Amino acid sequence: MGIGLVEPSDSELVRRVRTGDIGAYGALVARYRDRLGRYAVHMIGDRQDAEEALQDSFVRAYRSLERCNDPARFGAWLYGILVNRCRTTGARAARRRRMFVHDIGALNGAAHPDQTDRVEWSDAVDRALARLAPEYREAFLLKHVDDLEYEQIAAVTGAGISALKMRVKRAREQLQKFLREAEHV
Amino acid sequence: MFEHEDDIVERVIRQLRRPVSIDPGLDARVLHEIASDAAPESAARRPLLRSLPWLAAAAVLAAALVARPWTRGGNGADAFQFVLVAPQAASVSLVGDFNDWDPARSPMKTAQGVWATVVQLTPGRYRYAFLVNGVEWRADPSAPRAMDDEFGTPSSVVTVGGRGT
Repeated sequence: MGIGLVEPSDSELVRRVRTGDIGAYGALVARYRDRLGRYAVHMIGDRQDAEEALQDSFVRAYRSLERCNDPARFGAWLYGILVNRCRTTGARAARRRRMFVHDIGALNGAAHPDQTDRVEWSDAVDRALARLAPEYREAFLLKHVDDLEYEQIAAVTGAGISALKMRVKRAREQLQKFLREAEHV
Repeated sequence: MFEHEDDIVERVIRQLRRPVSIDPGLDARVLHEIASDAAPESAARRPLLRSLPWLAAAAVLAAALVARPWTRGGNGADAFQFVLVAPQAASVSLVGDFNDWDPARSPMKTAQGVWATVVQLTPGRYRYAFLVNGVEWRADPSAPRAMDDEFGTPSSVVTVGGRGT
């Protein structure tokens, strides 16, 4: 983070939103948009649908803010809303081929000597991820990309911890299999 | 050539953890939508707003400095978005130390009352304000007020630290 301000806590921002400070909600949106946006893009696979799901989740969270019982855990609560919203999107539309534009800044900053290889690898990862069952993809992303603990994932998804561990294990196995297959095409 | 499952998966994880570009307009769209909620005509439909009858007034002019870079730029400058919810404004400009307080240099664009603009900022301390309708000087209610305003008009202050701070 490149800001030198002492940033208010989530609970302080939620308190301010509840007293009518819309700007405080803007700060919460800014705080979580990139992390949750990344989850939505990887989970849904289509950038436009992902941004729609993200926007809708932020609006739903605002409208339901009175039901956020622990403002200090606003982020986890928001994750739960987004996870549900992504499930709805996934159920409504068949998963599309992942065609989104890759992050140009990330590419420019890459140390890899061959950007073509990097894009091909990125596409291979996207395709492999898309082949996972949604519940496997969800568990894998929350555990390994978003760094949530299994207890947190259980709270967000409603699944049991042993089931989640199995899903993550299967996701790892299948990703390996799909990427090996892609390598030999 | 892949040699080990863990190597493959760890490489996948590193790939998936890379930043993903999200439309910079998303924040403004969210704020616009919730500002619409706060409008008097819709207040009765929202339990949160029913309990806070003065929220509608607060929503007329609420602002948010989006306190993190939109994009990492070159030469040590990063892009920052400023957002102002001002449904009744005809024009809004962002003015501050970073643009010599010139309203013409950072006019804000509106999407149904949510005004936004992006400026490049290098590390430093900046005073800024919103100029509404060309005459109305507003500090950012979501940011610290500048304590050293020699012009006698309200302004806010933001400090941009170096990368990695």
